[in-house]
Amino acid sequence: MTSCVFIFATISFAWLQPPTSVGAKITPQMKNTIPIPNPLQEKIRAAAPGDTINVAAGVYRGELVIDKPIKLVGQGRPTLDGGGNGDIVTITAPGVELRGFRVSGTGIDLDKENCAIRVKAPHTTIEDNFLEDVLFGIDLKESPDSVIRGNHIGGKALDIARRGDGLRLWRADRTLVEGNEIHDGRDAILWYSSGVIVRNNKSHHCRYGFHLMFSNGVTIEQNDLFDNSVGVYFMYSSKLKLIGNRMLRNRGPSGYGLGLKETDDYLIKGNIFVGNCVGIYIDGSPFATPNSGLLTENTFAANDIGVTFLPSVKGNHLWANSFIDNFEQVSILGRGELTGNEFDREERGNFWSDYPGYDRDGDGVGEANYESRLLFENLTAREPSLRLFMFSPVHQAVDFVARAVPAVRPEPKFTDYYPLIEPPVKHGVDLATAAPRAMAALSASLLSLALGVLAIVFAGPVRDALRDRAHFRARAIGGIA
Amino acid sequence: MISIEGVSMRFGRFAAVDHLSLSVAAGESLALWGPNGAGKSTIIRCVLGLYRYGGTIRIGGLDVLRHGKDARRLIGYVPQEIGFYDDLRVHEAVRFFGGLKCVTVRDPETILDGVGLSGHAGKRIRELSGGMKQRLALAVALLGDPPVLVLDEVTASLDAVGRDELVGLLGGLARQGRAMLFASHRQDEVHALGDRVAILERGKLVRQGPPSEMLLAGEHAGHLKFHGEVHHV
Amino acid sequence: MFDPNKLDSKSAVKMSKSTSTARPLPASSRESTPTSTPAFVATARALCVPMRAPSFASNVFRLAARELRDAARSKWFLLYTAAFVALGLGVSYVSAASSGGTGLSGFGRTTAGLINLVILVVPLMALSAGAGSIASDRERGMLAYMLAQPITRLELLLGKFTGLATVLLTSICLGFGVCAGILAWKGLRADPVALASLVGLTFLLAMAMLGTGLLISVITRKSSVAMGVAIFAWLTLVFVSDLGLMAGAVALRMRIENLFALSLLNPMQVFKMWALVSADTSLDVLGPAGLYATDTWGGGVVWIFAAALSLWIVLPLSVAAFLFSRRSPI
Repeated sequence: MTSCVFIFATISFAWLQPPTSVGAKITPQMKNTIPIPNPLQEKIRAAAPGDTINVAAGVYRGELVIDKPIKLVGQGRPTLDGGGNGDIVTITAPGVELRGFRVSGTGIDLDKENCAIRVKAPHTTIEDNFLEDVLFGIDLKESPDSVIRGNHIGGKALDIARRGDGLRLWRADRTLVEGNEIHDGRDAILWYSSGVIVRNNKSHHCRYGFHLMFSNGVTIEQNDLFDNSVGVYFMYSSKLKLIGNRMLRNRGPSGYGLGLKETDDYLIKGNIFVGNCVGIYIDGSPFATPNSGLLTENTFAANDIGVTFLPSVKGNHLWANSFIDNFEQVSILGRGELTGNEFDREERGNFWSDYPGYDRDGDGVGEANYESRLLFENLTAREPSLRLFMFSPVHQAVDFVARAVPAVRPEPKFTDYYPLIEPPVKHGVDLATAAPRAMAALSASLLSLALGVLAIVFAGPVRDALRDRAHFRARAIGGIA
Repeated sequence: MISIEGVSMRFGRFAAVDHLSLSVAAGESLALWGPNGAGKSTIIRCVLGLYRYGGTIRIGGLDVLRHGKDARRLIGYVPQEIGFYDDLRVHEAVRFFGGLKCVTVRDPETILDGVGLSGHAGKRIRELSGGMKQRLALAVALLGDPPVLVLDEVTASLDAVGRDELVGLLGGLARQGRAMLFASHRQDEVHALGDRVAILERGKLVRQGPPSEMLLAGEHAGHLKFHGEVHHV
Repeated sequence: MFDPNKLDSKSAVKMSKSTSTARPLPASSRESTPTSTPAFVATARALCVPMRAPSFASNVFRLAARELRDAARSKWFLLYTAAFVALGLGVSYVSAASSGGTGLSGFGRTTAGLINLVILVVPLMALSAGAGSIASDRERGMLAYMLAQPITRLELLLGKFTGLATVLLTSICLGFGVCAGILAWKGLRADPVALASLVGLTFLLAMAMLGTGLLISVITRKSSVAMGVAIFAWLTLVFVSDLGLMAGAVALRMRIENLFALSLLNPMQVFKMWALVSADTSLDVLGPAGLYATDTWGGGVVWIFAAALSLWIVLPLSVAAFLFSRRSPI
């Protein structure tokens, strides 16, 4: 009797909770229960290779294993529900296609890597699925030539240390990752996967938007990476292309739009880095191939730091980039000079919004060099805690003193011999919503408040005088009468 | 109306007022007389509650230190010179101080007429002559019809004409049965305005009585007599 | 509250008045009066209608209104306001120009520039307004005359504070109003809400510095000395303390949390950090110390700033009120 009540209470309680907390409230007893067989499993067993199984709308609970090369197509987005327990879909046969499902409710066991869609075979297509409340989203292992397209992968609202990867590729060469949206996961990570194309994806509120480990020949283009810790992190990889991506507001203790660690032979072109802690963080790259770092036509705007170099980094070429209103345009962590990197190519440098010089001969290149030798930046590079005094007048005072007194003026960090007068590529990004009407309203209300006070101040005496005059006139008339 | 009991006021080691006791009855006028540094101004500032003195001062029974605001509502005060808000117009000044004294001034011009400032209501204070400023101060002091008038060397910075005019006003409309305490170093004023004179020297009361008995006719002689007294004490 | 002393005094006043009207005027004084005395007194009494006793609030209001009018016509107000408006114009124009036509600017330079401008100009304006007020009254002999009126010292001090705060608010609104106008006109991408909160924070900073200025004014005898002390205080808060803290942080290898805590002592730093947060900028802009603050308190760090700035408003003003009512020099 009592146990009956208990079960009823548990079920109703679980029923009332939103799915995320159901996952969080799993008891050890529930974890050890034998998985319920998914009703679709029977259909898969009955199917022949090459068959297409259309699945009607509805909720299908329990784990599902696809072990034949079949197409599983959801009609009206049926739900594959893991019930907050273990994995949901496992694909073991090559050439499987999974399309049109809602997949939700994996377990939260990081050691077992509970996963929504686990792929263990090549030539798999995962398309147009809506994954939510999942620890790991799509996990490709030894599955080259796959296609991950148009999926939505929403992680669990857990602390970052307890989350899994929204997307993971392990030895999945030549895979296409296109048009997906990944959020609230840990990383979208590529391990030992070469020739992958990552295109038109969105990643936000993750740790690393896309993370490359030992993956060569990867192209990452036209992705939106915002509000992550790091937009894209290249590690120990080479022959990479990062083209036309937008990295916005990637912040935190290591908040980088793009991180480069011991990576070789990369082309970073036409990307926008806005509002990140650091636009690009360059650590030991290029590593083995000299002079193989190319950065061009990128826009770095309103980042705390545009590009950060670790000391002794060399072999990067930066030209035709625009550095606009970054609190620090280029920094070197610790001491040192950027002697091994070049800031121009074919007599064209970069655009610097704080460049004080001008263009006399009209060739679009400023006559004076652009040199970065601000004392305050020099100090904060050595003692990062001094950044606390940024935006204070003391910041300007320190720089002013350094400008006036050459003795304390630091050596230039780097020199751009051909600074551009105009941004070579004009990227438009809405940093804040332009609200001229609201701004005008604010202006009007502030001004009318001020003018109102002034009117009262200056109208009071006038009013008094008028009243007095009226009174005198009345009195004078009374006197005559 | 004014009772001063054992009042002392020290600036550092210097005793400006030393155990002074005086009283002024309703309707009575008391002149404070003595050389510079005798403590005349200091005692007046004590009466106004501007200093933290020792002893007791009551205005109409109100202790000045404990109920300064209420006590000052009973006092009209004219200083030696007013230096406030030069940009203020005369009628604005009357209204402003009237407000502080809980008096709504409906017609400043009439009040100004009374002190001979007809037609000056719209002037700024810095445009007034010394005598006019003092008469304005008197008009302000009389706002709300206070029972006590306190004057501190009010004629000191005026010429002979201005002085005569002001003394005339003070002896006439300003008195109106008010208790008056005033400091002066001019014998003619003491004679004209004082029912009684208290002679001070180094913060102490030397003697008091009717002006005719205390002071000789000439100011210079008065000083002589005064000094003689002190030497004998 | 029943006070027998007051009761006595009122009856005494009544008595004195009845005796005074009954008593005939001395003949000599009546003759020397240039105007017809009884008529004047009659009209004066008719015209001066006593109201109820002025309350604390009404006196503060009257004095504030007076101070406001006096200060709003003064040269320092015009000068500082003109400077503030001009610099605000400059900041918004520069930020409009620096975007290089990409439309990417708007946040960084404008906010940073305005914060800097406020930290430099507004405290100087507020400190000197506060420091000048009581000290110069004292020098002109006006303080004694004012205090001889039926007002308390606290009323005078608060009246001055309120009046000057209103003047400063006017100046701030003018400056930011023009600035917002430029941003709206140039169509720069700046957040109106952030700018509005910057206005509010600027006013808080102004009040803090005004209270400090009044404190300086209360404890100094001469207005020139008060001005000197005020400028010294400004220099200290704007430059010296920060430089000292920077040197200390490097020389003593100060821990991040200590550095952050010490920086909270400076109202300019508190203002700056609060302004950054309210402009939707994470404090990690400010390096390790800012990261520490974000990690430790998250959004609650705003309450720490609010507490610090409130203390800066309340504390100097309270100390000034206490010292002023202890019969400071007049």
